[in-house]
Amino acid sequence: MQFFQRFSAVLAPLSNPRCILALVMLASVATIGGTARLEAQTDYYNTDRGRPIQIEDAYVAERYGLELKLAPLRLERERGGVYNWGIEPEIAYGILPRTQIEIGLPLAYREVGTERQSGIAGLEFSVMHNLNAETEGWPALGIRADVLAPVGNLAPNRAYPSITGIATRTYTWGRVHVNAKYTAGSSLSAASTSSAGAEELSRWLIGGAVDRTFPLRSTLITAELYGRKPLITGEDVEYNTGAGVRHQFTPTLALDAGLGRRLNGDAPGWYVTFGSSFAFGVSSLFPTGR
Amino acid sequence: MIRTQMKLSMRIGLGGALLFAAAGSMFTPRVASAQWSRTYEQFYLPGKFNFTFRREYAAADRLFNAFDYGHAILYERLLNNPGAPASQLETDEYDFITKKLLVSPPKLPLEEAAIEINYAKLAPEAKQMFDWAHLLHRQIYDVLASEQMSQTDKDAKIAELIAYYKTRPDLAFSSLPKNMDLMESQPYSLAFRQRYPKFNGLIWGYHWLQVGLYEPLMVGRTQEQRQAGVLAAVSRFKQMLENAPEHMPRVMPMTAAIAPMFAARYQEASIIFDNLHSMHDVVSDILTNNAVVSRSQKRTAILEAASRYRDNTSFLMPLDEWKSMGTMMGVENMGGPAVGFLAGFPAPTIARGASMAEAMKGMTGMQHGATGAAGMAGMQHGAPGMADSAKAGAAHQMPGMAGMPAMPGMTHGAMATTSDSMSAMHMSSMMQMHERMMRDPVIRERVMADTAMRRMMQGMMDPTMPGMQHDMPGMQHDMAPAAARPASTRARATTTRKAATVKAPPRASMAKKATVKKAPARKAAPAKKAPAKPAPAKPVPMDHSKMPGMNMPGMKP
Repeated sequence: MQFFQRFSAVLAPLSNPRCILALVMLASVATIGGTARLEAQTDYYNTDRGRPIQIEDAYVAERYGLELKLAPLRLERERGGVYNWGIEPEIAYGILPRTQIEIGLPLAYREVGTERQSGIAGLEFSVMHNLNAETEGWPALGIRADVLAPVGNLAPNRAYPSITGIATRTYTWGRVHVNAKYTAGSSLSAASTSSAGAEELSRWLIGGAVDRTFPLRSTLITAELYGRKPLITGEDVEYNTGAGVRHQFTPTLALDAGLGRRLNGDAPGWYVTFGSSFAFGVSSLFPTGR
Repeated sequence: MIRTQMKLSMRIGLGGALLFAAAGSMFTPRVASAQWSRTYEQFYLPGKFNFTFRREYAAADRLFNAFDYGHAILYERLLNNPGAPASQLETDEYDFITKKLLVSPPKLPLEEAAIEINYAKLAPEAKQMFDWAHLLHRQIYDVLASEQMSQTDKDAKIAELIAYYKTRPDLAFSSLPKNMDLMESQPYSLAFRQRYPKFNGLIWGYHWLQVGLYEPLMVGRTQEQRQAGVLAAVSRFKQMLENAPEHMPRVMPMTAAIAPMFAARYQEASIIFDNLHSMHDVVSDILTNNAVVSRSQKRTAILEAASRYRDNTSFLMPLDEWKSMGTMMGVENMGGPAVGFLAGFPAPTIARGASMAEAMKGMTGMQHGATGAAGMAGMQHGAPGMADSAKAGAAHQMPGMAGMPAMPGMTHGAMATTSDSMSAMHMSSMMQMHERMMRDPVIRERVMADTAMRRMMQGMMDPTMPGMQHDMPGMQHDMAPAAARPASTRARATTTRKAATVKAPPRASMAKKATVKKAPARKAAPAKKAPAKPAPAKPVPMDHSKMPGMNMPGMKP
């Protein structure tokens, strides 16, 4: 816990909304401008959580590959014109065959009544393992373990581990993905939830997505439907739907955009997402082969 | 309000039901147990050279993206529509590819799994092998296209790329040359080229350009020369598409023939690419030949072929033979050279649909003995069971003779041996083979009737040689000089010899017969004149079909 507190202190300047905005802009510029220098390959076909939809496929980053997601931006508009937005820069590394590790730093800006809050909403570590390649008999299966650590002023006050099972099946008309997630840890009372990170946590989440690829255009469109039970005591199950598109812009850069809607609850609203990522390699992480 | 809530609940319920149905339909238990695959993707070696070819030679690079589609849609159509008319590929897909896709190729490498959806599920391991080798292909273009790297740097980087490629033995093609039998003498072989000559020509055209583009990058001394050379090669490829399949390659283009300078400098890479292209053809044959390989057997057949292309022991071809094979089969049959074009296409010397074995009929350096046969068409170098001896065969112009490892000085047809350097073990193996042969009354009569061969056998039976005390029943009697035997015996032997000669058909005609059986649509290749026989005597052609491990396709029943 002390480690997380120290980490929070180091990252404290990021609580400033201007700082967050600057980070978003910097990330965007780096994403667009840095492509010429990064020898990388990004695969629009392998979908990631939150880019642009919540439901992801069962595959991981290529072994030895690093995948940098610099500007995954999400903007929500709740009923009544309340806006929340956040970015979650992440980096994933294919550390073992069919296995990636990932670190994400969610940054959030939210309006709570007349008060405005911004800052770090936790530090997210995850390990994802793809169990198999899809064959005629088996869908591709994956398993992901996450921990949201209490780092930052908007983070939950304790670590929350979760586990997700993922399956992907390809048909001639498109792919189907099914995700099921469970989060351990005590529930939060509505009164004590001043953290954006805690609001995003679900006791459970289950959903499916369908996507269709246009390979000659390097483009994928996707749609999802999922339900989730918030970790906050007394909250009803939320149902959400979303759709999005992923496009390979250059061999080094993939862009994605999506929009979605919460279907029920007291404050249904819309959200839009925008993201970009590239993969690259660091020579020293590769085997020489000799 | 309640009504709205109910509507929503119903929608969500329906969504949930669909979700569970989708999850349930993801599994196909019938085939599940046999198809658990743990293959995976691996990132390419980083470096500043990456994507140089894309930047500097955009037109050629984009063509490769279209090639990805061609390979992928081919496998998908063959797998999904086994009973479809040939026109689906030969006309519909071919026209789409040549009139639209190759005219305006995709800007980015394609995600083949989104095109060959069912094929990718059928054999993801084989798909990964192709992807891994294609990555090497592209990175070598990048290295050779680099204007910043010296030739020494390029050599080092390509060596590093190959070393990295080999870090995935589950995906890497062998860097030892595989012989033509792996591609052309399997039960399913040749089906694709016979049923889809135009699409097959297109695929070989792809392979011609894929290996051919290395040559102008190597030959050009300045960037301008390299640019011009690459453009010329691309233009020649597009010329091949005109009046298809007339100018398309008639046998699989081999790197040593199409890009000799590249092959000489980067031998391992060239062999890997030849093996890659060869396996492309094999997969096409497996998917096409539904009479021999049923739908349920296709995955197994593909994985078996993939395994053979990865290992370093089976179906090997001597390196020297690989180097010269392309030339001997005729570069004109492979689409011609990739640099120094003439105005017209070189005239092919074989009919479309011919096998490589046919193309090599009469090739110099492949005359195994002075038997009078017109070449050794169809001779299997390294058939199953011959694997271990292939390397040994490489040194003695006897590739792939099973059970005859390390037989120094042995020349096929003469069967002369120099025993000094033979190990007792090898000699023992050879003697066992001879014993077995001599148990066959026909062979035995033939050998005994031939004075030269008899002399050699006597030499081998020298009791002072180690490991020579084998039981060869009746041999001593027959080894007696013919003159010392009764006249009646001599007469019998002569009669038997004549009879044997008449009974045993010449090898070339047998090979041709078998080939025709295998490929009925194929036109006969022009016969080449057999070389002069060095021996004055008229040896009876050795019946290789009786020799264990000397399985020749032309001699199959």
